[in-house]
Amino acid sequence: MMDGASVVDVGRWAVRRRTLTRSLRGRLQGGEYTWAVAFVVPYLAVFATFVAYPVVYGLWLGSEPSLYRELLRDPIYQGTIVNTVLYLALGVNVKMFLALLLSGFFMRPGWWMKVLLLIFVLPWAVPQISTFISIHWMLNGEWGFLNNALYTLFHVEGPSWLNDRWMALGAVIVSHIWKWTPFWTLILLAGRMAIPLEIRDTARVDGATGVRGFVYITVPLLANLYLISTLLSTIFLLGDFNAVYFVSGGGPADSTHVLATLGIRNAFDIAQPRLGVAAVMSALPLVIPLVIVLMRRLRTTEVQL
Amino acid sequence: MAHLTRRSVLQGLAAAGTTRLLAFPHVAKAAATTASVWFAQGFVQDEDVALRKAVADYEKASGNKIELTIIPFAPERQKIISAITSGVVPDMVDSNPAEILSLYGWQDKWVDVSDVVDTQRGQFSETALQSAQAYNNVTKKRGLYGVPLRAGVAPCHIWRTLVEKAGFKIEDLPKTWDAYFDFFKKVQDSLRKQGERKVYGLGFQVTASGVDPYNLFSAFLIAYGGRDIVTKDGKLHLGDPKVREAAVKAVGYLGGAYRDGYVPPSAVNWNDADDNNAFHAKLMVMDIDGTLSTEVAIKEKHPEWYQHEIVTHGFGYPNDNAGKPVPSIVGFTNGLIPKGAKNVTVAKEFLTYFIQPKVLGEFVELGLGRWLPVMPALAKSPFWQNPNDPHLRGYVQQGLLGPTLPDYYVFNPAMAEVRNQHVWSLAMIDVAKEGVKPAVAIDKAFKRIEEMFAKYPIA
Repeated sequence: MMDGASVVDVGRWAVRRRTLTRSLRGRLQGGEYTWAVAFVVPYLAVFATFVAYPVVYGLWLGSEPSLYRELLRDPIYQGTIVNTVLYLALGVNVKMFLALLLSGFFMRPGWWMKVLLLIFVLPWAVPQISTFISIHWMLNGEWGFLNNALYTLFHVEGPSWLNDRWMALGAVIVSHIWKWTPFWTLILLAGRMAIPLEIRDTARVDGATGVRGFVYITVPLLANLYLISTLLSTIFLLGDFNAVYFVSGGGPADSTHVLATLGIRNAFDIAQPRLGVAAVMSALPLVIPLVIVLMRRLRTTEVQL
Repeated sequence: MAHLTRRSVLQGLAAAGTTRLLAFPHVAKAAATTASVWFAQGFVQDEDVALRKAVADYEKASGNKIELTIIPFAPERQKIISAITSGVVPDMVDSNPAEILSLYGWQDKWVDVSDVVDTQRGQFSETALQSAQAYNNVTKKRGLYGVPLRAGVAPCHIWRTLVEKAGFKIEDLPKTWDAYFDFFKKVQDSLRKQGERKVYGLGFQVTASGVDPYNLFSAFLIAYGGRDIVTKDGKLHLGDPKVREAAVKAVGYLGGAYRDGYVPPSAVNWNDADDNNAFHAKLMVMDIDGTLSTEVAIKEKHPEWYQHEIVTHGFGYPNDNAGKPVPSIVGFTNGLIPKGAKNVTVAKEFLTYFIQPKVLGEFVELGLGRWLPVMPALAKSPFWQNPNDPHLRGYVQQGLLGPTLPDYYVFNPAMAEVRNQHVWSLAMIDVAKEGVKPAVAIDKAFKRIEEMFAKYPIA
């Protein structure tokens, strides 16, 4: 026989359960609820399999603190951090600034500008792996196109471009900028084209032309788009593998790796997948704030493009 | 219309499952005779043809089914490492990269295959048998986890045409180590005097990519007397003065040759195939590079190169500076069965079939001889002893019949880390590019090696 307190507990539990069921069911009745579940389950299964599982598994693989201690002791990892910061700082900012300027240039009228734009976007349009491999061959010190051209035209023996850490890293950064500037130029060009003509005309009447127009009209109206593009580009670049892998190969002497290529090297070249995952995971302290800032910017409702 | 209820959905699923089991019972039965096998794609197509033929012959003879997946070299190693890490494994893989036998043997990830190897134990070379074992850190014992299938050694590849253009003959090649490699410096000097702007005497892979630089350094280390750096018991002997002296000499010679301009400058950033490409482009007179891929790759397109212009036959390695033979390190491809494989029985049966001398011999011969057989008796075949082939006899002599050693990581997996983390490469590059003294570079390398071995203690 139950005492008074137990009866009250059972009653509360039953009420809680009923409330939970009601909130889950909403206003759905009988079979409608089953249908709703049947439709939702596949999406949940896909989400769990292809989104949640890989992320959780990756976090689990790189969860041991000893992996990070090992990484920090590794001189190649230390150099990789420096490379990644330089790659991000120069790769993103030089590229975005060039894209901003070029998007203004491509606003000019004329059919030839359209032809020029078509040629300009070619580096972005062609497959990146083959172009990066071509750059790698082109920069070969002994028989690469660049040094052969230098010798043939000027009788100058060019350097071994990929033999020095800073030249090789520079080659990687330039290759990245060359490859991706056209894409971001197109994005910013679209942003510029969305600025209403009336605003520009009014500003022109008020004397805001040339640099003044750029500073007082274009920059404020493109600022949000520029910032979001920069954030996105930074996130993309943090995971970029191809430019480094195919242009410098991470060499010489593993001195031009970035986190993405070091992760692959650790995982498969030295057969330590957990260490590889940890190398890539070590970018999370930068990626997560970037994603948060990006989300917040995307929620901004101010009148900005 | 009747409502769909939770009960009706569950009943439907149960009914569908039962129907499938009743309707297709042979699927379960078929799975018992099917094994999944992963193998690396060959450098030339003939290697894949040879593998497919062996598999087809086995299927015909046994009635079993082999689900063969041939994957390019680099993706296969990623696939294998991913499979072992996740635990979802095929029934058999080749050892790609070779050191996974030792690394995962340490972690008790392989099925013991001594019963398979026992069927042909007397046929295998001693080096092949050593390469098939690994120390298991769970059982604290060594076990036989690999079934040797094929082997490769790193011969010296030489452009006869460049040697002759420089005014020398191949017969002029000295027989001892330093004099042998110094000879190519003279060849370069002579070619430069004739106006050859971009020809280098030595194609040393002074790079931190791939396995070539490790193999190159090991050859020099052994030639200079450092053979006992790791002994069969898995112990490291960096304190042995002979080992240290040999390592210092090796890094000094290899790094010094680069520093002095006898190695192509781009060699410090070569990847695995770049040395082959540079050799074919006649950028250097000679290189030491694994397997006969350098020759096999051009056999069809440039038969005159294969037959007359490139030399490997009859040399192997020169003797050491005291005139004694220098053993060659041989790398092996082993068949491995991961723990967790669903059909160990068929995988073992397939391997047992595969290592019959007739099958194994045909497998390597159909692959144009890029890979060596692992049984000395197979070296006597007309294919390997063909007097009209300028490379095969020398290659099989160097890698199977002559003095050989397995790679050091078969004794201790720490040496696989030394290889993969390019410890020797970094020392060579320090000397070659940064002007670091060989002794200082070796002290730094030894410190790293000691740290790596500390992770793999063998009682």
